[in-house]
Amino acid sequence: MSSRSLLIAAAAFGLMALQGPARADVEPEALVEPVAEYKLYVLDNLDAFVGHTRDFTRAIEAGELERAQSLYAPTRVYYERIEPVAELFADLDASIDAREDDYEKGVDDPDFTGFHRLEYGLFKQQTTDGLAPYARRLMSDVKDLESRVQGLTFPPAKVVGGAAALMEEVAATKVSGEEDRYSHTDLWDFQGNVDGSQKIFALFKPLIAEEDPAFVERVEDNFAAVEATLAHYRLAANDPEAGFVSYEKVSDKDRRALVGPVTVLAEDLSTLRGKLGL
Amino acid sequence: MSDQPDNTSRCPFTLDRRRFLQGLGAAGVGVAAGGLGRPARAADDHAVTGAPVSTTTAQAYPFHGRHQQGILTPRPAAGMVVACDVLARNRTGLERLLRTLTERIAFLTEGGTYPERDPAYPPADSGILGPTIAPDGLTVTVSLGASLFDTRFGLADARPRHLQRMTGFPNDALEPERCHGDLSLQICANTHDTTLHALRDLIKHTPGLLMVRWKQEGTVPVVPPRDNGPTPSARNYLGFRDGTANPDTDDATLMDALIWTGDDPEEPAWTRGGSYQVVRIIRNYVERWDRTPLAEQEAVFGRHKASGAPLDGAQEHDTPDYAADPEGRITPLDAHIRLANPRTPGFEKHRILRRPFNYSNGVEANGQFDMGLLFIVYQADLQAGFITVQNRLNGEPLEEYIQPVGGGYFFTLPGVVDATDYLGRALLEATAT
Repeated sequence: MSSRSLLIAAAAFGLMALQGPARADVEPEALVEPVAEYKLYVLDNLDAFVGHTRDFTRAIEAGELERAQSLYAPTRVYYERIEPVAELFADLDASIDAREDDYEKGVDDPDFTGFHRLEYGLFKQQTTDGLAPYARRLMSDVKDLESRVQGLTFPPAKVVGGAAALMEEVAATKVSGEEDRYSHTDLWDFQGNVDGSQKIFALFKPLIAEEDPAFVERVEDNFAAVEATLAHYRLAANDPEAGFVSYEKVSDKDRRALVGPVTVLAEDLSTLRGKLGL
Repeated sequence: MSDQPDNTSRCPFTLDRRRFLQGLGAAGVGVAAGGLGRPARAADDHAVTGAPVSTTTAQAYPFHGRHQQGILTPRPAAGMVVACDVLARNRTGLERLLRTLTERIAFLTEGGTYPERDPAYPPADSGILGPTIAPDGLTVTVSLGASLFDTRFGLADARPRHLQRMTGFPNDALEPERCHGDLSLQICANTHDTTLHALRDLIKHTPGLLMVRWKQEGTVPVVPPRDNGPTPSARNYLGFRDGTANPDTDDATLMDALIWTGDDPEEPAWTRGGSYQVVRIIRNYVERWDRTPLAEQEAVFGRHKASGAPLDGAQEHDTPDYAADPEGRITPLDAHIRLANPRTPGFEKHRILRRPFNYSNGVEANGQFDMGLLFIVYQADLQAGFITVQNRLNGEPLEEYIQPVGGGYFFTLPGVVDATDYLGRALLEATAT
């Protein structure tokens, strides 16, 4: 079927809203620069992630409960931004970011480590007692992640697919508030995923902007809608570092208001690889 | 469904295509098995994993008409109700939602082939029924909840007269996460997979417009075809026939009086041709019920369990004569069917059309089954219909074995009359500023 008759068929079936135009003619060389820039973005975030993890884990080892609690969410943000890359290393992703649901014995499972094990101790049990071994393990895992990513060749399809993968993360576990169930810092992670997705979209946008301005406009509108709702829950409007209110304070109405643009972004960004011929 | 043989004219190439595919399959098996040193085994209709065969995949109900399908349409074996919140941010978004639902339902209920896409894109469809879908008796019925008639879309002045948020009756234990919604989709078909396919198509096409709030799937047991006499009503999970006393759906005048909204001058004009839909998720305590003496079960319902006949009758559709039994010696005065329809003069206007399915969801913490009735009824007047009948039933002996846990009240939109029309057009036009 020609692309023209495909479009006609699509129109007949009412699929125009989903059906992108035929793929843009993107030369493979055109992908080199954005992929390289993305790697720099990832490495910058990893660098910050290592530094923040160091402060966070030191606070735990020093028994500074309140300081450790306050550093939990700001540290995770860097991981959440680059999650599609971090997840390429399944062993580290499990030891750094698995949730208790991933283990049959839940919080008591000896294999349950990483951020969410520490979250359980810091926010549910309200103590740093017994957490030092988990803190040391997290620090070494995060350093391991950084060195592995430095040597990694970034596959373009994985990089571009990451924009959609991050929105799938948001849709699946952030909106429900199950990611950070003890600290209720889900909005930090939410923002991290959205940041990471937006970065990828921004890097590749020039390659499709001319071919498909309506798509670009819709994606940007929906990112803006998500950002506007998130901004509503910032502790200080002009200070991103100040972070967010507890997810428990987000109204049902706003949770639903987030689902709309997040779902449209997940649908739209799922076509980004196709548009770039990947 | 194109992967199944189909003896109708709708897809004349289906059989040939299937044989062709089987040929390919056989060749593939031959190569693989040959490599293992075993004899090749031809795929045939008796293969263990061959798809089960149905003769009703081509069954289709016309989408266009004064009323939506799924109300007077004969109830098929599979059905579900999906309640959604509408995420559209304005009237433009709401109209896009209703037009999209109209287009998709028109396609899904007629069947056809999905467009092929560049493989670099996600496919146009889930593909769970293959690239070409058969209608398989599918109906999708769209209804609106009272919560949609708020300030978001300027519909507040157009709310159907009796539409309200469902409130609990004395025996209810409503769970908020299984109640209410801005919009309900009742999806019915000959097979469960066809309903799921339709649901996934509808949700995929309405991102940012709909968010599923709750979903309840159900089935009814099938019976062999009958040469003569009425088909018996299907049984519920208490083992009793359900829906016997429904009004005659072939009687158009009766349907206009009891089922279709429109005659009441106090109803907004746009509601004409619609109907009030009540959905209730009614848990049945089946273990306890199965440990109850048969005579007591029959007294609770007022019917014989095996035949479905009223206690003073011999056949399912015999009319009980309560006037001859004023003290309830044969049919107890508090038997379910006697309370629900006392067969007294003047009660006709309270009759409702039952179209329920049975559900089975899993196991409770106590090891007992979460089973029951996905109760769905339609009526022209919610107050005169379900609410009146349910108030008569409050305190009935059956309550010991059942408990409503979810559901909601909705107004089923009038039908889509032709290709230029869409679901809810009259409502949006009536409220345009």
